[in-house]
Amino acid sequence: MVPDFLTIAEAGALIGKRELSPVELTESRLSRIERLDGKLHSFIRVLREPAVAAARVAEAEIMAGKRRGPLHGIPIGLKDIYETKGVPTTGHSKILIDHVPQQDATSVRRLTDAGAIVVGKLATHEFALGGPSFDLPWPPARNPWDTSRFTGGSSSGTGAAVAAGLVLGGTGSDTGGSIRGPAAFCGLAGLKPSYGRISRAGILPLAFSLDHAGPMAWTAEDCAIMLQAMAGPDPADPASADRPVPDYRAALSGDVKGLRIGLIRHFYENDNPADEATRQGIAAAVKVFEDLGCSVRELRLSPLAEWAACGVMIMLSEAYAIHQATLRERFGDYGEMFRDRMALAALVSAGDYVQAVRRRRELAAEFATAMADLDLAITAAAPGEAPAIDAVGKFSTFERPMLTMPFNVTGTPAMSVCCGYSAAGLPLAFQLAGKPFDELTVLRAAHTYEKATSWRSVRPRLDL
Amino acid sequence: MRQPEHWGDGIVKTLGMTRAEVEAALARAGLDVPERERAEIAAAAHVIEEMAQRVRGKRAMGAEPAHIFPPPGA
Repeated sequence: MVPDFLTIAEAGALIGKRELSPVELTESRLSRIERLDGKLHSFIRVLREPAVAAARVAEAEIMAGKRRGPLHGIPIGLKDIYETKGVPTTGHSKILIDHVPQQDATSVRRLTDAGAIVVGKLATHEFALGGPSFDLPWPPARNPWDTSRFTGGSSSGTGAAVAAGLVLGGTGSDTGGSIRGPAAFCGLAGLKPSYGRISRAGILPLAFSLDHAGPMAWTAEDCAIMLQAMAGPDPADPASADRPVPDYRAALSGDVKGLRIGLIRHFYENDNPADEATRQGIAAAVKVFEDLGCSVRELRLSPLAEWAACGVMIMLSEAYAIHQATLRERFGDYGEMFRDRMALAALVSAGDYVQAVRRRRELAAEFATAMADLDLAITAAAPGEAPAIDAVGKFSTFERPMLTMPFNVTGTPAMSVCCGYSAAGLPLAFQLAGKPFDELTVLRAAHTYEKATSWRSVRPRLDL
Repeated sequence: MRQPEHWGDGIVKTLGMTRAEVEAALARAGLDVPERERAEIAAAAHVIEEMAQRVRGKRAMGAEPAHIFPPPGA
């Protein structure tokens, strides 16, 4: 009997010892999807036969002594903006409902080369920007902690599927917080690596200069395992960074003692005020890090609204350029949330786009200076627990400055880490941000925090 | 020649696009937006205007954008 919930690390260890069959593991997830996803709607498309076939190949390789690594035989899901050869990749949109790519995205190929088993394509907000829309070909994903609640977005299906144990990990993309938001609301670990760390080639773009691909899983360790497979230079992505990829998982066990952490308190106390439970969760997390030997001091940056304005102006402008022609021809075929958010972009002038890009340079420099004598920054990932799914407004993304956007503007790594549960039993989270290409320190701190606390032992009850 | 430190000061647009201005922008963009949605977009336009105000700021004429063009082979 395969447990309902397993981390990638746990399953990988069992597979490595031949105590768990990749076929049984994959079939157990497919059964779970069949049983639970009718109410979660985390999948757009389940790839049952290809997944079982791939699991059989993985099992044969492992039994023949050819295990590729900790992802070999692990069932994962792909946000449906990651292109998959011969399998429709829709962006959760009617616009691309018949789009069948000729090849896999680079990151998909790397994950499958590492032995991961793709069990399906996951729900997303339309083209990674629309909200939880009810006028698309597929319904919006629901939060497994409470199906009346929002998953966060845009990597909504990945958040729901991992939290519910339908897959052990999944891919997300993050242009303004689309990995860290759903990770926060669904209680996961979600890493937005540095811009350029993971290839964007073959991933439907939202905004070229802000898009980051990344892993979402139950733990920081699992994110490290997925990042290891996904990261690395790729000539097919002009923004790909030609930098060596360290051994992320090996570095997790390193000491965090002596790490210097800046607490960006004004982001969640003044600029986008978080609820009391979130503030207490962050305060307790700071105490955990201090007890582990880290030093924590206040870090003050430009107001959050400055970062959000810069990021949103760039995001809308670049997204509008991508969809401009189709919006003219097929406006009504987009969901209302996406198309009306895009219509706002028609109000942005070319000059203001360039001003936003100039502002980005200033803000990135400000962050680099502020971090000169720090190793990490900590702030809220979301202002509180997940709201009701029908309470998410059409323009809500723009009405309150997003706590996650600053690190899209800087292009530096940032991660959502669960720090407890609200009175309603919903996950709360903080964000750890690091220096450029220092995912390793972010992951190590998150992993150490997870080991020092009990939050990873709590899973949703799923009495659907 | 020394650049004016606050170049661009006089170009900040006044907040408060009118419904007609929003309609004109949508029409110019060629978007066929239903009436109800046009009203909602117009009501939300101030959000974009406020963000535009923030990014305009005060900066030297030569202040570079974050994106520059790396010529092939550079």
